[in-house]
Amino acid sequence: MSLEKFIEDFEEAVEDIEPGSLTAATKYRGLEAWDSLAVLTVIAMVDAEYDVRLKADTLKNCETLEALFAQVSGSS
Amino acid sequence: MSGSDKFKNKQILIVGATGGLGCSIARHLKCEGASLVLSGRNEAKLNALSQELGAESLSVDLSDSAERAQLADAIGTLDGVVCAAGVAPVAPVRYLKDADLEACLNVNTVGPLLLIRDLLRKKKLNPGASIVWLSSVASARGAAGYAAYAASKAGLEASARCLALELAPKGMRVNCIAPGMIETEMAASAAERISGEALAAHLKAYPLGVGQPADVAAAASFLLSEASRWVTGVTLPVDGGFSIQ
Repeated sequence: MSLEKFIEDFEEAVEDIEPGSLTAATKYRGLEAWDSLAVLTVIAMVDAEYDVRLKADTLKNCETLEALFAQVSGSS
Repeated sequence: MSGSDKFKNKQILIVGATGGLGCSIARHLKCEGASLVLSGRNEAKLNALSQELGAESLSVDLSDSAERAQLADAIGTLDGVVCAAGVAPVAPVRYLKDADLEACLNVNTVGPLLLIRDLLRKKKLNPGASIVWLSSVASARGAAGYAAYAASKAGLEASARCLALELAPKGMRVNCIAPGMIETEMAASAAERISGEALAAHLKAYPLGVGQPADVAAAASFLLSEASRWVTGVTLPVDGGFSIQ
């Protein structure tokens, strides 16, 4: 499990994100494409790809993709 | 007829009795005089509930054919069956896991149908018996992330209509209840996978507000009782007006 791969997976999960456009420091909740469907999709992606069941609250409480990845990797 | 006599001498099986809706239905029917047989997968909860209600109980996984047969063998003849077991995976189809889809269809659709098949083959349903399956408003309305759940409940309702016609000559009835958002553990679990904003928006779509398990229990009681003797093959929405919009 790597941060780079996680960012790629995140970009693929959320619609309308240009591949390679996000970084570890990206504040994902500020993305134009971040909406309720994106929340649901990222939770499902993490479950399917990392076998980790994130809660919507976790997505709400993290700031950056790096912080979110730390939650995912710490739960697996 | 007083509430405690409504189901006097009536044997009713409740499958999924340990869930929020099943548990509420069991308590409601007990107050109306029913003799209950309870089934569920959570053995500890099942034992506690059966002790509280003085009911028979059998902990079985209805997606397992041997355990289902064991249940059908172990019980006496029934006047009513309620299937309240259910799972609700929430995921867009792109990330839907095979195991979640299979479990959803097995628990929500296949299990109830095969249970009734086994009960019919073993002649465990009395003439005039009433079957009530718990569906959902999701069966008739699209919602992102609910493809598996919606399919399982739509399939259940379609099966109910066919089964209702097959059993009508015996005076048996088959109906579904389609609850909207009810405050249960399953709803809370699903809510963890959607944003607070999305949940708040969903709840606003209920003209009468969020439902309680007791609302569904009252509907189940009606469909199990003689009061609904000319009602079969229908899905009764119990959704605070959600589906009329």
